[in-house]
Amino acid sequence: MPADTTTTRTGVIHDLGYRRYDGPRLGRAQITRALAWHSFRSAFGFGRGPKAKIVPAIAFIALCLPAVINAFSMSQGNPRLVGYDTYQPALRDLVMTIFVAVQAPELVSRDLRSRVLPLYFARPIKTGDYPAAKYVAFTAACAVMIEVPVLLLYLGTIVNVHGGAAVWTQTKELFPGLLVGLMWSVVLAAISLFLASLTGRRGFATGAVAIFFLATYTLAEILLQVENRAVRQQAAQAIQNSGPGPVHFVPPPPALAEKVSGLFSPFTLFDGVRMWIGGSGTAVGDNVMNPGGFGAVYALVLIVLLAASLAGLFTRYRKARLS
Amino acid sequence: MSAYFNPVIASITVRATLGRRRAFLFAIPAAVLIALTLAVRATHPAGTSWAAQVLGDFGFSVLLPLLALIVGTGVLGAEIDDGSAIHLLATPVRRGSIVLTKFVVAAALTMAFAAVPELIAGLLAPGSGKLAVALFVGALVGSVIYTAAFVMTSVLTTRAIAVGLLYVLVWEGLLSNTVGGARILSIAHYSLGVANAIYPDQDLRAGLSLTTSVILGAVVTVGALILATRRLSAFAIKGEPA
Amino acid sequence: MSVIELANVSRWYGNVVAVNDITMSIGPGVTGLLGPNGAGKSTILHMIAGFLGTSKGALTVNGGPSWENPEIYRTLGLVPERDSVYAFLTGEQFVRSTARLHKLADPDAATRRAIEMTDMADAKDRRISTYSKGMRQRIKVAAALVHDPEILLLDEPFNGMDPRQRLHMMDLLAKLGAEGRVILFSSHILEEVERLSGRIQVMVAGRLAASGDFRAIRRLMTSRPHVFNVRSSDDRRLAAVLVGRPYTNAVEFTGRGSLQVRTSDFGAFCAQIAPLSRDNGIALRELLPTDESLESVFGYLIANQGS
Repeated sequence: MPADTTTTRTGVIHDLGYRRYDGPRLGRAQITRALAWHSFRSAFGFGRGPKAKIVPAIAFIALCLPAVINAFSMSQGNPRLVGYDTYQPALRDLVMTIFVAVQAPELVSRDLRSRVLPLYFARPIKTGDYPAAKYVAFTAACAVMIEVPVLLLYLGTIVNVHGGAAVWTQTKELFPGLLVGLMWSVVLAAISLFLASLTGRRGFATGAVAIFFLATYTLAEILLQVENRAVRQQAAQAIQNSGPGPVHFVPPPPALAEKVSGLFSPFTLFDGVRMWIGGSGTAVGDNVMNPGGFGAVYALVLIVLLAASLAGLFTRYRKARLS
Repeated sequence: MSAYFNPVIASITVRATLGRRRAFLFAIPAAVLIALTLAVRATHPAGTSWAAQVLGDFGFSVLLPLLALIVGTGVLGAEIDDGSAIHLLATPVRRGSIVLTKFVVAAALTMAFAAVPELIAGLLAPGSGKLAVALFVGALVGSVIYTAAFVMTSVLTTRAIAVGLLYVLVWEGLLSNTVGGARILSIAHYSLGVANAIYPDQDLRAGLSLTTSVILGAVVTVGALILATRRLSAFAIKGEPA
Repeated sequence: MSVIELANVSRWYGNVVAVNDITMSIGPGVTGLLGPNGAGKSTILHMIAGFLGTSKGALTVNGGPSWENPEIYRTLGLVPERDSVYAFLTGEQFVRSTARLHKLADPDAATRRAIEMTDMADAKDRRISTYSKGMRQRIKVAAALVHDPEILLLDEPFNGMDPRQRLHMMDLLAKLGAEGRVILFSSHILEEVERLSGRIQVMVAGRLAASGDFRAIRRLMTSRPHVFNVRSSDDRRLAAVLVGRPYTNAVEFTGRGSLQVRTSDFGAFCAQIAPLSRDNGIALRELLPTDESLESVFGYLIANQGS
């Protein structure tokens, strides 16, 4: 009160507000876990206003559509429409590109923009814990986006099949599908988080991630189609030449150029690796011809891509810089 | 309303967009396009007509709209986003001039970094000189329409890049190729229509005639700029702490 | 003569009322817009500057609206609070391009003058990205002054300035105000407003709590007693005499050789303390009003707002 400020020259500080806390404090593991959980939630727009949930919601619904449609169609007596490991490739490519492009910046670019990194690092966590938490969270988020529709597909299928043997068959086919989905999540999260962490502006980060996936995808597609053209023309030629009888045309195994073309995009790498380890191959809408033994190179490139992205991500946060 | 091109704003915008070695980043997609063309040419010398695919699918459908997106939302949206637009707006410069100038800069930059490389790649590809010119002109037209649309989007919303991305990937990538009627609302198809008129090519899959493309393209461009000006005239600073 | 008029101006965002039925008039000279954070000061400034529309009420600058009226910026300069300027330009380039956007006849001369006025001549050739916060504030002020506006609006202008820069800026604003311009600045730091302007508009929670000269405001609150510090040749006797007077609420010995007198009638006390002491043979050595500071005014207003 003003009256008190007037005449006393000596001062007394009343210990009214500042209290010490001597109770138990949570440690590094809990902090990292809390950070991961918070990041996981913000990947779906939770913790922010309703507008932040639009894109994740639409993406999730879009990804679930094939599963729902399949359940309907199977109840009419048709066989299963989509594979567990291929799912609906074109849809998944597109939707996951949009999802990671729009949501990865939510996890990392926002912190950079508002310059809160020093606040995080002033806690008892190591600088590596921050990117680790973000990566685990975003991988989990991508896994939810990819695996939940696959599980829905599974449920919709076993509801419509009869007999324990049929259910067991479906289950056996499910697990490789889940593994493929995991591969997707692990790699997509790494690449998109790394690219998004390069800038604090969400718009630019979204653009960078989207352009990377879209450009590489188109690049690979074009190269594949260009290489395929030769084979397709040969096939057309063979059909012409053989006349009315049976067609003697054995399509050559994919040429080296064709196999190399698939290396240029994460999505085609996924396809290659999937076929290499024995998943369904060249299903409808597939991008890559079965690479056969060359698939090992696909796997190698994929691992290198993953390692490079993670290395980049962790290096980005090595120092607790402001931006 | 008489809007005119303002050189002061233009020079600041160019510096802001290209500064800090960002010109380098913009050149990368163009370099990739040209490298791709050279690579395919090396492995498939004349014979297979892959030009339309490389130039069309990569240059036209990916490079052009995405570059226009980054540049178009960057010239004005970035300033609105970080608050420095207020220094520009606190002057008596007509809002129409601001929009027009930024649009011209964006269109020019997009032409330089997307349309010109398209032409270079087209000339490098074997036996398709006319196709190259056709796609170049189409890309010029596309630069204009795309940047107008994206400049408008960046004034209307802060999430302009996300919205623009959805438009390019979902609307143009998916729907307008499958749903026939949607072509009327697709900037890619306006550009393709112009290109196709100069050099008809099956692989371009253009769906609109020249007249339709030009008219609709002009409507979209002018409409977008007018809308952007209207919105900028009533520019309100969003809720700041008092 | 420039004038800013607000008549029953309100502004709300959905359910949140940022500015609540404000009526005020701002004329030439320096006026301080005072209030705690969240009181609506920035909102008012942005509305006056034409960067926010009113939800209700009439706001005019020199007789016309500022909303959707770019011509107003010929006579109005705004120094926003946000720290965002084109960081890649040098200070001089920034001010000069602002001058050219205002279509001044001689942008170079205006630039030079504005930069000198804000004491930025040493740093004008460095990029703004290398400036400290205080320097950024000053270059923003320079850009706002380059077209010689009649009205200058400043949102928390002393943020981030060190004491020397602050004094310099205060001098500048006082000089501009003395030239007859309308200077309106907002602050939540009492010392700044107190030093710079006698006229204040106090905003609390979106409402106008008080306006006018702050000393006069203080006096208006007669329910709160004024406190004076008196030093005299015979404190005890003076105290005894004062106690007998009706306008004295309380008398206290401070223990340092002075008397603290609480009075509810400022006028009567002031008029009578001198003859009173003389008639009783007491020599008055010191008479000090102790709570004229803006701090006590402000604190009192805030305390009252809660009740």
